[in-house]
Amino acid sequence: MTLDTAPPPVKQVRRERPTPPRGPGGASRWARRAPLLPALIFLIVVTQLPFVATLVISFMRWNSLDPTNRGFAGVDNYLTVFTDAGLRSSVVTTVVLTAAVVLISLVLGLGLALLLDTKFRGRGVVRTMLIAPFLVVPVAAALLWKHALYNPSYGLFNGVLTWIWGLFGSQNPPQPEWISEMPLSAVVASLVWQWTPFMMLILLAGLQSRPMDAVEAAHIDGASPWQVFRYLTFPHLRQYLELGGLLGSIYIVQNFDAVFTITSGGLGTANLPYTIYQTFFQAHEYGQASAAGVVVVIGSMIIATFALRVVSSLFRDEVRS
Amino acid sequence: MTETLPAPPAPAGAPQRRSRDARGVLDWVALHSIGLALGLMFALPVLFVLLTAVMGDDEAFTSALWPSEWHWENFALAFEKAPLLKYLGNSLLYSLLATAGMLLSSIPAAYALAKLRWRGRDAVFLLVVGAMMLPPQVVAVPLYDTWSSLGLTGTLWPLIAPYFLFDAFSVFLLRQFVLTIPQSYVDAARVDGCGEFQAMVRIVVPMARPGIAATSLFCFLYTWNDYFGPLLYTGERPDQWTLSLALASFKSLHQVQWNLAMAVTLLIMIPAIVLFAFAQRSFVRGITFTGVKG
Repeated sequence: MTLDTAPPPVKQVRRERPTPPRGPGGASRWARRAPLLPALIFLIVVTQLPFVATLVISFMRWNSLDPTNRGFAGVDNYLTVFTDAGLRSSVVTTVVLTAAVVLISLVLGLGLALLLDTKFRGRGVVRTMLIAPFLVVPVAAALLWKHALYNPSYGLFNGVLTWIWGLFGSQNPPQPEWISEMPLSAVVASLVWQWTPFMMLILLAGLQSRPMDAVEAAHIDGASPWQVFRYLTFPHLRQYLELGGLLGSIYIVQNFDAVFTITSGGLGTANLPYTIYQTFFQAHEYGQASAAGVVVVIGSMIIATFALRVVSSLFRDEVRS
Repeated sequence: MTETLPAPPAPAGAPQRRSRDARGVLDWVALHSIGLALGLMFALPVLFVLLTAVMGDDEAFTSALWPSEWHWENFALAFEKAPLLKYLGNSLLYSLLATAGMLLSSIPAAYALAKLRWRGRDAVFLLVVGAMMLPPQVVAVPLYDTWSSLGLTGTLWPLIAPYFLFDAFSVFLLRQFVLTIPQSYVDAARVDGCGEFQAMVRIVVPMARPGIAATSLFCFLYTWNDYFGPLLYTGERPDQWTLSLALASFKSLHQVQWNLAMAVTLLIMIPAIVLFAFAQRSFVRGITFTGVKG
């Protein structure tokens, strides 16, 4: 897919793979491969069967509380998905949530990676501190944000506000109800906190694989730090940015823990995974839940393709030059 | 973000030399303070968990940031309040078996996708990438239905068993790694009379060891962190809960002991920290290899 179309780095020569030696007969070639076949057949069956089943169910009328009334429903479930206000808004929420988290954590991650790429005393300590959020179990992170940070009476944020206001002698600091006043931002912030270290790790690996001779040559030729960043570092990082964006999108589109824990899907933060869970477990509408699932898959593929194309078209000229 | 740009060694040109020392000091101060501020911003919530975990029952509910007394016994208390060892056992069962199953099923699949040439290989690879992007919630309905007709819902087996058949992300990751092993090694093994299976076990597996380590780490962390899966299949059977599921309910069951909930949060982090400390390097290499060596 798009990953394969990224122009290979200059150093890479692996592409010119020699054509394979023509083995003896086709039959004996297959005999040698036979031990691997079960894995392959499983691979095809296991990857695709559940999705095919989901597709089939998405066209069925199937509520588990009403087992007799089960049959072909045509596109009814899809119509419900697109006309039901709740479902439609959860599609929008999923897109906004994913895009916001991926973009913000990429930008922050890039800043942090650039910082960690320079040498300074205590770099190891700072790096360990920065990676910490990535090692917190996601549901624990969600709980932590909900109760330890956002809680209006004993949370860290309001505690810090009290302390800062106290420094200036004020007795009544603002004590916002973070989750109910800004529910979606609250979810986004907690996810950005978790994903920034991941992006930083990828981008840092990218920075450290930069060909340093080119950077030094540019310095000698009088390039400013900004020019070096714009014309050398950034094009080199492009594929690492794409990779981080892609992996991040895959995981954040399916995020369930944060939404389920922080807001329980209320206040307009229900994303599609949460809605599917609810349709399945509370309404027991198997058909609708499946149709919603199919929409998520198609939607996320469109977004991923579109986003990657936009990003790569932005930098194509630099890569070519 | 411009101030976080790497400060390059100042060019050797003469005009720059005079202001270099002053600028150097400024850069030094700026770098250190930005680094410290950002590091604190990201680490503070974790530190806050630690501080809350050792507070007394009442103090944990105030906006106090620093505990007045240090109650280290909270960690031991948490074990009394909930069968944490039971949950730990379930979590380990899930993560270790899933990782073992993933290795058994995904290494041959990755080898077939990277080192064998056969009709339809690219199409199958596309299917793998497609499956990788499939959110687990999407296929939850037919899978749950199947497992429930097999009578296995209420256990962790519906989560573990699929890893023995296939895991799209691991196959993808391993394939990208195996691709970086020069084809000539595999060809040489074939010429020397190795079957494909032997070539895989003797040549490719030892050479792909960093990739296998990274993939295992990913798989372990993913299953260790998994919340949706255990909630779906074992939500109503507390004796089958994993740690992440138990943590979420610990909060609601022991409403008054917020400090203990934080202690459990810390305890759950330990395996991830230990694993990451050991495998940080291969982890980073594993991620970056996947996309960059297409």
